[in-house]
Amino acid sequence: MAMIQAKLTRVTRTLTLQLDAPLALMLLFSLTLLALILVLPLSAILLRPAASLSMDILEGLLGYPYVSWPPLGEWVIVADRGEYKLVIVRFKDMGIIPNTLLIAFTVTLFSTAIGVLVAYVLARYEFPGRSILRILAIIPLLYTPFVNAFVAYKLFGEEGILYNLMLSLGLGYTVEITYIAGVIVAQTMMFWPIVYINTLASLLQIDPSLEEQAENLGARGLRLFRSVTLPLSLPGVAAGAGLVFIFSMEDLAAPIAFKVDNVISRTIVRAVVGARDVERLSVEVALLAGILLVLALSWFVAIKHYVSLRHYAMLSRGGRWKPRVSKPGPLMLALIYLAVTPIILVSMLPQLGVVVYAFSESWRDPLPSGFTLDHFRELLRDSNVLNGLRNSVIYSAVALAIIILSSTVIAYTVSRVRVAGVGVLDVLATSPLALPGLSIAMGLLVLYGLGPLRGTPVDPFANPAILITLAYAVRKGPFTTRAVYAGLQQVHQALEEAGVNLGASRSRVLLTIVLPLVGLNVIAGAIVSFVYCMTEVSTSVILGALNPSQAPITYVVYEYVTAGYGGGAFIHLAAAIVTLTLALQVAAITISNYILRFRYAFLGV
Amino acid sequence: MAEVRLENVSKYFGKFKALDRVSFHVVKGEIFTLLGPSGCGKSTTLRVIAGFEIPEEGRVYIDGVDVTFKKPYERNTAMVFQNYALWPHMTVFDNIAYGLKVRGYSREEIKRRVSWALELLGLKGLEDRYPLQLSGGQQQRVALARAIVVEPKVLLLDEPLSNLDAKLRVRVREEIVSIQRKLGITTIYVTHDQEEAMSISDRIAVMDRGRIIQVGTPWEVYNNPANLFIATFMGRSNVLEGVVVGRESNGLYVVDVRGLKFYGLSREEVERGDKVKVVVRNEAPEIVEDMENAPNVFQGEVVRVSLIGFATQVRVKLANGETLTLYVKNKIHIGEGEKLRIYINPEDVKIYKSLEDVD
Repeated sequence: MAMIQAKLTRVTRTLTLQLDAPLALMLLFSLTLLALILVLPLSAILLRPAASLSMDILEGLLGYPYVSWPPLGEWVIVADRGEYKLVIVRFKDMGIIPNTLLIAFTVTLFSTAIGVLVAYVLARYEFPGRSILRILAIIPLLYTPFVNAFVAYKLFGEEGILYNLMLSLGLGYTVEITYIAGVIVAQTMMFWPIVYINTLASLLQIDPSLEEQAENLGARGLRLFRSVTLPLSLPGVAAGAGLVFIFSMEDLAAPIAFKVDNVISRTIVRAVVGARDVERLSVEVALLAGILLVLALSWFVAIKHYVSLRHYAMLSRGGRWKPRVSKPGPLMLALIYLAVTPIILVSMLPQLGVVVYAFSESWRDPLPSGFTLDHFRELLRDSNVLNGLRNSVIYSAVALAIIILSSTVIAYTVSRVRVAGVGVLDVLATSPLALPGLSIAMGLLVLYGLGPLRGTPVDPFANPAILITLAYAVRKGPFTTRAVYAGLQQVHQALEEAGVNLGASRSRVLLTIVLPLVGLNVIAGAIVSFVYCMTEVSTSVILGALNPSQAPITYVVYEYVTAGYGGGAFIHLAAAIVTLTLALQVAAITISNYILRFRYAFLGV
Repeated sequence: MAEVRLENVSKYFGKFKALDRVSFHVVKGEIFTLLGPSGCGKSTTLRVIAGFEIPEEGRVYIDGVDVTFKKPYERNTAMVFQNYALWPHMTVFDNIAYGLKVRGYSREEIKRRVSWALELLGLKGLEDRYPLQLSGGQQQRVALARAIVVEPKVLLLDEPLSNLDAKLRVRVREEIVSIQRKLGITTIYVTHDQEEAMSISDRIAVMDRGRIIQVGTPWEVYNNPANLFIATFMGRSNVLEGVVVGRESNGLYVVDVRGLKFYGLSREEVERGDKVKVVVRNEAPEIVEDMENAPNVFQGEVVRVSLIGFATQVRVKLANGETLTLYVKNKIHIGEGEKLRIYINPEDVKIYKSLEDVD
């Protein structure tokens, strides 16, 4: 008995040594939030179909519109227009599920190839224009909900800019890329920079001596890349590719712009937005949200496993080093200026096009016409827009307060507390970045709107504001968590132990030593989180549709780009809204980077 | 001023046993040093005393009070960290005042005590600087000031000199000793540097693989090492392999080293026929002219002479082919190829079982 008591004392003391009461309370709050907004809704979306699942439903999922075999339509159409031939690349409709998978796999493949190439070139070669290209390459990552996809359509779609360009060259034939093929091209342009930044980060972390050793043993060129460089940067490549796969599956913008109805994301949204009977949500739709979730989780688990196996790639760090950079040979120069540069430049066109839409009177011909500020003036008169903007600012601000509290506590716990279960917390807190927002939104709808909680204050049919705000906090919190975590990694633990040793409690140390040292990281991360709350799409559209008076601005943009025949009736107005958020992002990212550059680590060495 | 006692303290990190039944008793006012190679558990021992680690087994007492499960901030120990752990966002004054503020002293009292510490450590005039604006030696002193200003029961120093250059290291260690003597504060000092340990300590505990191997004054530990590990870890020694062939009536063991007989002492139980190691410190052998055919006198040929600073290192090949390294005064001139005769006092010949047998 005394033995057990002694053992218990040891365990509780070890725990309270690392977490005192105020810290534990804040941690409890964060865990509750994660449980209510992430774990329970996602469980609900996985469990709901289980009750009413039958063979009929499963068989139904194998028939139209979920799977259509043989595929409908044509892969490529060649039309003779007299003076020239028109080649329309479009791909066949294979049904909702195969379409989604085909698009996601193809986009991931292309994005990975381009992202790795660009990252390698920009990391390892020194050439005029490199630093500009490094910045331009991340422009496609600026979030311009929906409108950038319409610009992509303008570039490649029916009688688009590509069509007109080839026509004017008088080649005798011209091209349109539409339908599923168009979605693939548009999403590749949108998403390859995700692979690029993850791979670049990996490449810059590789100890140069690892590559120098390989060269020293006789490897060079492609062999060096294939045998050492690429394997060592695989964690970054895999992480980037996984994100692209998930983002592609839940993207709404490109399928809307290229008029593809049969993909999972659009089917889910159609079942909620503008539907008369949301309450009788079909089992099939819940299943689709579940499929999205399961595919995302599989990627997540696979990558986590893979990356953890390869931790050694970065272990050999000792001291500082200069990343390896070399002068490109003539062949590499040709690759840089004839392939890499054009890819980067073309990929930023959709973001530029958003601004063009916002400031032009009309853009029906290949080139826009008439500079105007009318669209912005109209925003100020449009009560939908003003209401949406006001809602978004309020939700994002409240979410931000929650994020600052919970992210700081989670980052601190993950980086400092050595107790079983911390690993789970780490995964829980960072996974929302890679979990499909549509699945989370549908989970929230099912759990709080279609169950016993119907009619309570959290019922999203009455008050979507509460769930939207909490969903923002959970989905966009990881940006702050990561920034704070990075800061904590630079604060040597001895700085805190010195405080505890001199008699201060954990909470006092957190307030007087840790927060002053990582405060800038908190601010920088919070700025980024705020901006991404303002531009959040999935939960905003799904939950906002349940009570449009409480809908945020991204829902208004969705309404405007889908209104009218074929969509895009209010595209100029939508572009003006998105341009505002674009400006907000550029400002936030600039400020955040400026702050984080002053990150300092101090040890008495 | 306090005494510190550890009783059978064991600490695991996962499956790795970092501390294995560590026990020792630090008496009031002494400088007690934990000495050992990196990874031997000396820093972990210090962190157990400070309360940063809770041991799986055993007890820690400060002044007779069981503090095993006390929070670090309930123990009134003060630690000087290897990297000083000065808070970069606080001035020298604020760094030193931190522990006093936590203890709720009045503003005047804090001022008075901090300026006392600044005076004691020669830091007057630097109180408004930030740690980044100080030299390594000054940072070291601020860390020390921050620790002693709270009048801790025990001062814990974790390799406090390892980030200083060699010359400064000697100066600062003299200062630490003189301040410790002035305040009479019980001090536990961790280092891997045997010279540092011997020069500052009242007593040394030598650690290896999580265990305390020997506790004693520097004199005892150096001149009478408890086992082969300490004998070879402390100072520079020759280690020869041999077999015990007998024991003289005066207690000296006789060991046959490839045909040569060595007479020496052993702290361990060895018996005729045991394979043993014969340890002879480099400074032990003397060059002699006479004493032909006496015990422990060997003929040899000089194969290498090199100046190592305070002495000349001579490598001598003995008749059985073994090479012995010895230090001789720089005044003696010896050339390579020269034949000479050396004598080793049997008290300087230590006989140990090899470490594998000890385990």
